[in-house]
Amino acid sequence: MEVLKGEEVDRVPCFSGMGNVTVEGMKKHNIRFAEVHGNARDMATLAASTYKLFGYECAVAPFDLCIEAEALGSEINYYEHVEDNILYPTIKTKLVKAGEDIEIPEDLEKRGRIPMLQEVIGHLKDDVGDQVAIGSYVLGPFTLAGQIMDLNELLKISFKRPEDINRILTDLAEVIARVAKALKDAGADYITIREMGAPADVISPRMFKSLVQPPLTEAISRIDSPKILHICGNTNPIVELMAECGADALAVEQKNDVAETRKKLGEDAVILGNIDPYNVLVQGTKEDVEAAVKTAIEKGVDGVMPGCDIWPDVPAENMQALVEATKRYGNTS
Amino acid sequence: MADDGRKKELIETLKKGVIEYDEDLVKETAQKYLDEGFDANEGIFDGLAAGMEVVGDLFAKSEYFVPEVLMSADALYAGLDILKPHVKTKDRDQKVKGEVVIGTVEGDVHDIGKNIVKLMFDVAGFTVHDLGKDVPLDRFVEEQMKTDSDLVCLSAMMTTTMVGMKKVIEKIKAKNPNVKILIGGAPVSKDIADKWGADGYGEDASNALTEAIRMVSALREMKQKGEV
Ligand code: B12
Repeated sequence: MEVLKGEEVDRVPCFSGMGNVTVEGMKKHNIRFAEVHGNARDMATLAASTYKLFGYECAVAPFDLCIEAEALGSEINYYEHVEDNILYPTIKTKLVKAGEDIEIPEDLEKRGRIPMLQEVIGHLKDDVGDQVAIGSYVLGPFTLAGQIMDLNELLKISFKRPEDINRILTDLAEVIARVAKALKDAGADYITIREMGAPADVISPRMFKSLVQPPLTEAISRIDSPKILHICGNTNPIVELMAECGADALAVEQKNDVAETRKKLGEDAVILGNIDPYNVLVQGTKEDVEAAVKTAIEKGVDGVMPGCDIWPDVPAENMQALVEATKRYGNTS
Repeated sequence: MADDGRKKELIETLKKGVIEYDEDLVKETAQKYLDEGFDANEGIFDGLAAGMEVVGDLFAKSEYFVPEVLMSADALYAGLDILKPHVKTKDRDQKVKGEVVIGTVEGDVHDIGKNIVKLMFDVAGFTVHDLGKDVPLDRFVEEQMKTDSDLVCLSAMMTTTMVGMKKVIEKIKAKNPNVKILIGGAPVSKDIADKWGADGYGEDASNALTEAIRMVSALREMKQKGEV
């Protein structure tokens, strides 16, 4: 938490603002991934297990990206029928036609799984709240728009009639701010804003600046918690624009050249990242994980964080190595 | 010949219309091109498809991004709608490169990359059956049988959904060992493609196309030799 406030710390922390569920945790507590998304008790148990098992310094819920869209009225597929595979929830059908205005329900905070998620945060607070920070996340306006309308159409209309999209994104910024407040009220210590639909692999830095940045900045300014802006994919050309959005910290993935980002943003910027969640954490050896942590710290991250959600089938020894290596290499005093 | 110069001019305009994602310009030019009696097939390949190739390059160089590519695609399809009905049958038989089933596997909604690959196939003259995203694994098998496609293309962007590809490959190969299967998406690699018995792997969209053409030609050759 001190890191997010820009205060001095003794050591670089090892935590995340994104999902942190592991197969190890699921096995230990005998919880099926497909059934956890609507069960507050189990979700809290799993979210806390990554701290309890490995000393990972946070507990984060939820695990999927459908909370806001569901509260707005989308139907979600949890893949309960799929037996032997971990599939992340997705949205069944798009809520509105691309370019169409949305209607924000009066009782947004009472809809979908928001009350359930508030309950999860409450459980986490009671369980481990005195030991680690409790995190939760919301989507950025552009990414949320991609969840509730056809993405291809959204991308095209963004080009052809940006004013229409701008109006929708402004409404979505309001949705996001309200959801974030509900999460804060439930006890979340920090909030991550995930704008993963807008990296430079998908849209141009130009469009990021003209269309994505204004509503994103608006949403962030209205979130009254310590807050992290996360974008995965290629963020090198947009880190400065990300910094202008006003979050307390930026989180980036392995495609980001952190040393370069540090140069661009200066000493005071709080940069979190950028351990490859699959190729290093899942596929790599313990030594690979240690080396990645060491490199990330040397390049200048203020917190060691996986580039995106922890990938559930991460081996136990790699999770341990992630935490241990951060302690070993992360002394700042 | 003045005619030839005029044809060239119109073909260049078609190309430019695609590159600059100017749907109206493409529509108008395609109509003029037909009205003046030029060959539809050349208009498609030297104009529209050539333009899309340039767009593919610009995307690879990060000068164009996904929205630009999608808009160029709209311009291309608008032109195709006008020109395609006028392609002479003999050209049509020659030029159809093959039939492809494509989709993103179950549990995965990442379809931006798949859509770009699909577009490249359309451009090259394949007949494409797009199943979309989050496609139940058996749908691939069914669609291949229904359309008797030469090629099945599977996309996955997550390591968990990627394993679904392995199942699809097994199922299709069990029913019809001659169908070629091409896989791709960020977590996929050449190694994985080999291990799971896919016939090919494509790192990006243009790569995917080269692979596809290679595989379908091999298949045709086998058919001609009567091995199939
Ligand atoms: C945009 C994005 C999203 C969007 C997707 C929108 C959409 N409709 O596609 C949204 C926000 C919805 C999303 C959701 C999620 N995402 Co996501 N997402 C991305 C992101 C940032 C970019 C992907 C992209 O479109 N790239 C641009 C395109 C053009 O490139 P491409 O897809 O690679 O395609 C090219 C090639 O691969 C190839 N190709 C592609 N398909 C095929 C097929 C064939 C046959 C061939 C030959 C070639 C080929 O050609 C293409 C063109 O050149 C990536 C990050 C990254 N680094 O890639 C994460 C990423 C894919 N997502 C990830 C995750 C974890 C998720 C979620 C699970 C998050 C969550 N907690 O719920 C959900 C998944 C929901 C689900 N069940 O599907 C992880 C996957 C990790 C892993 N180990 O598998 C990634 C890698 C991020 C990360 N760094 O960890 N995501």
